[in-house]
Amino acid sequence: MRKNRLIATAVASALLASGLIGATSAAQAAERKIVVWVPFGGGNLAMWQASVDRIEAKNPGLTVELVGEIDMAKSLAAINAGNGPDISVANGAGNVGWFCGTGAWQNINDLVSGKKYNMPLNMAKTFTPGSIRTTLSGNVRCALPFSSEIFGFYYNKDLLKAKGIAVPKTTTQLIAASKKLTTFEANGDIKTAGYIPWASFMDNDMASLFLGHMFGARWFNAKGQSSFAADPAWAKAFAWQREFIRTVYGNGSFSAGSRKIQKFIAGSGDFWGGNNDFIKGRVAMLAHADWMSMMWCDPEGWNLNPCTTPAVNFGTAPLPVAPNLLKTHYGSGVMGNNTFGISRGTTNLKDAWIVLKGIATDKTLALAWANANGDPSSLLAARTKTGTNLSYPSFYQTFYDISNHKLSGYHPLLNTSEHLEETGLQQLMAAWQANTVGDIRNPLRDLAKRVNQIIARNK
Amino acid sequence: MTVPSGIALGPSRKRGAGAPKQAKLKTPWLFIFFCMSPWLFGFLGFTVYPMGASFYQSFTKFNLIESPEWIGLDNYKRMFFEDPDFWQALQNTVWISAVSIPLRIGFAIFSAWLLTKPRHGRSIYRTIYFIPSMVPTVAGAMVFTIIFNPAFGTINMLLEKIGIQEPPYWFQDPAWSKWGLIILGLWGIGDTMIIFLAGLLDIPRSLYEAASLEGANGWQQFRYVTLPLMTPVIFFSAVTGVIGSFQYFTQAYVAAGQVNDYSHSMYFYASHVYYAAFRAYEMGYASALAWVLLAITLFCTLIILRTQKRWVHYPNGSLFK
Repeated sequence: MRKNRLIATAVASALLASGLIGATSAAQAAERKIVVWVPFGGGNLAMWQASVDRIEAKNPGLTVELVGEIDMAKSLAAINAGNGPDISVANGAGNVGWFCGTGAWQNINDLVSGKKYNMPLNMAKTFTPGSIRTTLSGNVRCALPFSSEIFGFYYNKDLLKAKGIAVPKTTTQLIAASKKLTTFEANGDIKTAGYIPWASFMDNDMASLFLGHMFGARWFNAKGQSSFAADPAWAKAFAWQREFIRTVYGNGSFSAGSRKIQKFIAGSGDFWGGNNDFIKGRVAMLAHADWMSMMWCDPEGWNLNPCTTPAVNFGTAPLPVAPNLLKTHYGSGVMGNNTFGISRGTTNLKDAWIVLKGIATDKTLALAWANANGDPSSLLAARTKTGTNLSYPSFYQTFYDISNHKLSGYHPLLNTSEHLEETGLQQLMAAWQANTVGDIRNPLRDLAKRVNQIIARNK
Repeated sequence: MTVPSGIALGPSRKRGAGAPKQAKLKTPWLFIFFCMSPWLFGFLGFTVYPMGASFYQSFTKFNLIESPEWIGLDNYKRMFFEDPDFWQALQNTVWISAVSIPLRIGFAIFSAWLLTKPRHGRSIYRTIYFIPSMVPTVAGAMVFTIIFNPAFGTINMLLEKIGIQEPPYWFQDPAWSKWGLIILGLWGIGDTMIIFLAGLLDIPRSLYEAASLEGANGWQQFRYVTLPLMTPVIFFSAVTGVIGSFQYFTQAYVAAGQVNDYSHSMYFYASHVYYAAFRAYEMGYASALAWVLLAITLFCTLIILRTQKRWVHYPNGSLFK
């Protein structure tokens, strides 16, 4: 009897224990959930969902919840407030420093090296050099790259051909070409413009970045200090901008030229669509991202392929550079990309890394993204047409070439909050345009001091 | 005079010695607090606590993720000695306050005075003047950037038609953008105007009749009758105007976004607080900025309050006298 009772007790205990273990396992499995917020919607979100599905299939028990159409400011605010996702996406390389700097994204150096969880990722063999640099804020890596955006030089083939102008390669040639391409109304207003180096032109806050790149200007020195004052290329770049406006639009007068540009810009059509100045032929040349090709090809549907009847007969080239940099720098360009990282508050770092790494290295996703959006991939395996379904028009090769140039990339990213060094430079360019600053070296010195203060404060 | 029974006597009136003793009523504090609790909890939770927390945070480095780190007066030092945007924002704010408040008051008095004149259709005119103040701020600002556009805006077309060859570029020009905002503010003057209108209508006609009999002309009637009696309204508008102008944000934010105002000509103090808090996530610094804003606003308001005895004329019996 006692024996039976003992057996019954043992069986009951075993059942209870196995039930508990089962329940614990189930709880653990239920906890293996990763939430990903992305700013994309529509077809792009569907591509990401397919990638997430593939990761779930490879990792039984792991659930990934993908939420679309959440912009990065909202993600950052949610992470900072403690209720953000495990993984989020930042558009534009400049924001990496911001996400890293605030501590919203955590350092993934140990994850990449394999010190933690032994799932290393060989960055150099997986991604393009330019995109790898944009995953670092100082020496801290807190993101992986996803896709690339390459900034190049667009020109209206018909307008250049009509004036017998070759595509300008240097800043001197750019002035000469613009002067020939610019026409004026009877009252002196600009009718059609060549190129417009102006801070608020084309819905774009990167005019000062392009200007700096054309003159090979450095943003920071090796010690992580601002180079706005120390590198004379900046002063040279701003001097060139004034010279450009004076010569091309002002008939020798900078203030007359800048006034004409202001009015011309105020009369621009809607940037995002068929009334864009470049499409309408109001502007013959401009610097912008690779993905603008989609709009030049098809302003309504934004389709890159096959682009047989584009809305404007356009060509692509690298940004012109200062004459003394022609041999070394021509062919390079500003290059950014989307990045994504793991939130500081994640409770499941290992699975978050599985998902982050899985999406970043998903060749199928990278190819689908490149085909749909035109962005050359940051994933090396998805940059060749050989053996893949990668497809893009011939003019797009320019952007692949730019992204392969060793000097292409984004400026080093440091902890400058919301990339305040860029904002400061844009402000300075605006003040310079408005003729409210005298010798450009003084405000450049002030800006450098200010950027260094921001870096020191955010350490 | 006899006082009917049941009417409470004033506190200065002594009860007669022979009055019957009344049972002392117990003040129902619990009930009073219960009735006040919706407001009380709101006040404590959404005003007192945030203000206290913000004051503490103004001495810290705080990015919402990490715990606030005590840095003493560093945020305040940074504000005054290291942050050129602070000075630019303050300068823009002082400019818009100094220009817009007198203009708004003057324009509101003038509009209100005009609206007292029509013999017929007064309510229609008043409605027409008031309607702009009901337009959503964002929509109003966006429309203004369009009609003031130097290339195709209606305003510059009209100015050119009347012979002004080089009209201003308004929001596109850092030198003129704040004037665009001033005009936008004057367009939506209806809310202030309606207060002035009420004040004007409150002035007894007999005063004008008496002034007229004394030989006062229109200007003299305005100067010696209307203006003195309107000073309480002017005072009220000045105080609310100062408070409002130091918090000036929405119109400038929208207009600056419409024209990519990198020159920061439309960057005001509240914009700076917003950027520090919700773009740079520097909550400690934003709190310090907010406290300095409070101090500045308080200082300006106190100056107006202190000077009111010299120029504000309250009618007899006014609560504010």
